[in-house]
Amino acid sequence: MMFSKSVKNRLKIFILIAIALSIIIFFIYNNLKKNTVYFYAPQEIKILSNIPTNKIRLGGLVKEGSVKKNNNTYVFIITDLKEEIFVEYKGLLPNLFVEGKSVVAEGVLKDKKYFIANTILAKHDENYMPPEVANSLKKKTKN
Amino acid sequence: MAGTIGNLGLFFSLVLNVVLLLLLIQRIRQTNFGNLKIIELLNNGVFLSLLISFLILIYCFIISDFSNVAVYQNSHTAKPLIYKISGAWGNHEGSMVLFVLILSFFSFVFLRTKVVDKLKIYTIFFQSILIFIFLIFLLLTSNPFDQIDPKPLQGLGLNPILQDPLLAIHPPFLYFGYVGFSLVFSFALAGLLTNNLDKSWSKIANFWIILPWSLLTIGIGLGSFWAYYELGWGGYWFWDPVENASLMPWLAATALLHSNLVSFKKDKLHSWTALLAIFTFIMSLLGTFLVRSGVLNSVHAFANDPHRGLYILSVILLVTFYSLVIFIIKSPKQNTHKNYPFFQKDNFILINNCFLVFFLSVVLVGTIYPIILDAVSGQSISVGPIYYHSILTPFLFIFLFFMSHGPLLSWNKQDKFPQIRNVKIFFFISIILTSIIIFWFFDYKNIILILGLFFSLYLIISVIFDFVLNKKLIKLHLGRLISHLGFGILIFSIFINAYLSKEINLAMKVGDEVKIENFIIKFKSINKVKKQNYEEVFGNFLVKNNGKLVELSPSIRKYDQPVQLTSETSIKNNFFVDYYFAINLSDFEKDKIMIRFYYKPMMFWIWFSILLIAFGGMYQSFRLTNEKQI
Repeated sequence: MMFSKSVKNRLKIFILIAIALSIIIFFIYNNLKKNTVYFYAPQEIKILSNIPTNKIRLGGLVKEGSVKKNNNTYVFIITDLKEEIFVEYKGLLPNLFVEGKSVVAEGVLKDKKYFIANTILAKHDENYMPPEVANSLKKKTKN
Repeated sequence: MAGTIGNLGLFFSLVLNVVLLLLLIQRIRQTNFGNLKIIELLNNGVFLSLLISFLILIYCFIISDFSNVAVYQNSHTAKPLIYKISGAWGNHEGSMVLFVLILSFFSFVFLRTKVVDKLKIYTIFFQSILIFIFLIFLLLTSNPFDQIDPKPLQGLGLNPILQDPLLAIHPPFLYFGYVGFSLVFSFALAGLLTNNLDKSWSKIANFWIILPWSLLTIGIGLGSFWAYYELGWGGYWFWDPVENASLMPWLAATALLHSNLVSFKKDKLHSWTALLAIFTFIMSLLGTFLVRSGVLNSVHAFANDPHRGLYILSVILLVTFYSLVIFIIKSPKQNTHKNYPFFQKDNFILINNCFLVFFLSVVLVGTIYPIILDAVSGQSISVGPIYYHSILTPFLFIFLFFMSHGPLLSWNKQDKFPQIRNVKIFFFISIILTSIIIFWFFDYKNIILILGLFFSLYLIISVIFDFVLNKKLIKLHLGRLISHLGFGILIFSIFINAYLSKEINLAMKVGDEVKIENFIIKFKSINKVKKQNYEEVFGNFLVKNNGKLVELSPSIRKYDQPVQLTSETSIKNNFFVDYYFAINLSDFEKDKIMIRFYYKPMMFWIWFSILLIAFGGMYQSFRLTNEKQI
């Protein structure tokens, strides 16, 4: 009526593209939000105001002499030399899980002092330290 | 001594490269495009001196010349010869030499092909700029010939998990792939600047797109295969940023090779093709940055020198900026579109492009979002596989549907009727096959699995149908048919593998026998073997599965230099299933060994289909080049 046919057509296409794009962006954003796993060092967990309920990663050093085994369940301490957190893990520990070395565990927090891990992330070689862990240890030496 | 010659070679190639660049600039200014003799000579000179440097680097590794830092840090006298050689590109410095060498190699070969002189000169000009940028990078931040004084007596050794025959050839393939995209990038810029983006441009570009694409496919496949049997986690793709770094240029190049086909056949979409060519190479650069800057942690991040990352990042920004400026200014005006019928091949290829660009953005966002967030807020996060799976899967199904019908359409006329008939046939056969597979073989019902099998079978059937239909013109289509068939089989295998794999984790000691589900695992014995640079302890196991007996002997290796334990997997396979076994030690289970057993169906077909995809590409890259203009 007001617009010529070609303008109408273009408008239609434009609106369709805009709708498609916004759906796609919403979709990506939503999925990203749902599926990101945050990394924390023990000292960062201490200052959290509320405990995250979803899956997180916790990294630091395995405290020397802290690994205890009961049936198939391991309990040990992850430390960043400032704060310590108990970690419970059911299953088999990877090759490179060694006391005094760095570790990253994935799981959920039960409370600020107790973490239930469902995966211990294995890394490539034994001198390797995940950068997140290295950073959190650096923070400690600065403070 | 040898190091000095190698160093000279690098400097010499830089000098020649600069002279070549100056000459090219002069030629372009004077619009003098005749007589390529001198240009050829200089271009050969750059390539040859780089080649000599590279060979000398290999030589330094072979004779274990530890006065050379790169050799000292990455080699050891006790290493087998093949790993001394592959050690030459198994480190950052050496691999950057390979990078520049391949840039120059493509320039070297391109100059020998039949192309209009003007286009040739511009292409070589852009390619030489890239060579210049990376030579400077090499000399400033990663010179492989840096010397140490006094000369150390022994090297530090190569990371044991990199000591693997497949990994020796994985980097060259990968590099020929994604560094190879530089040529079509330069060629696109040349085409834009000289207003030469037309059918004949696309015809030449085809070769320079599909060949690197095929090599990249193999490179990714090799990396994935290595991760599968070496890392011992039973997986072959982890959506690790490093893997994504190679997938992104692959997705961009896949879109590119299809849109270039439209440009070639229908003489349109030229600017879109050029844009994709630019974008593909930028993805390659981004991959280089992600892998080499140390922002990611992986076996590829050799040394975290912040200068390197910064340099490559600036290169990316510069290249992106200038190539986009050229694109925006010079991009050809399209003749306004007539009303094309919808059911035509080019429209389906456009749809394919939309999907691929979408897949690419999903992977791109998932890969760089954590890096950006970390840089901005210091918050460390990781994006899990579920992100990729949940977004990509539904779109993959639609993608497969279009992929099944697109190739059957014609380029020029609208044919509606046979398509609807095809839909019915494919639908019917795929439903039957899917039901047979689901109910008879697996008795495992999951809607995503069913849809995955349905759509991949749909594609496979359409390819077979296509094959029968085009029997007379088979030579024309063979490359496409093979690659598409490969893709169908790949998706089919991935879905079966994802849903029907099994994993068993246990601690066992010699003599134990355990029954879990259908599997009976027996730990028979242990034996020790001493090798050149490691000691190996084998565990011998017997696995029973529904009357089938499989013997597996995974091991743990203790390397001398550097001292490190690695688990070596033991895999027994037939066409349909892999029995996969890995063991490791634990400080906390003194008298037991940790075992991991995986039952992994369809692995053979995953590797085989990747080869099919690559092979189809290679076939097509040589075919279209020889095809007469239509």
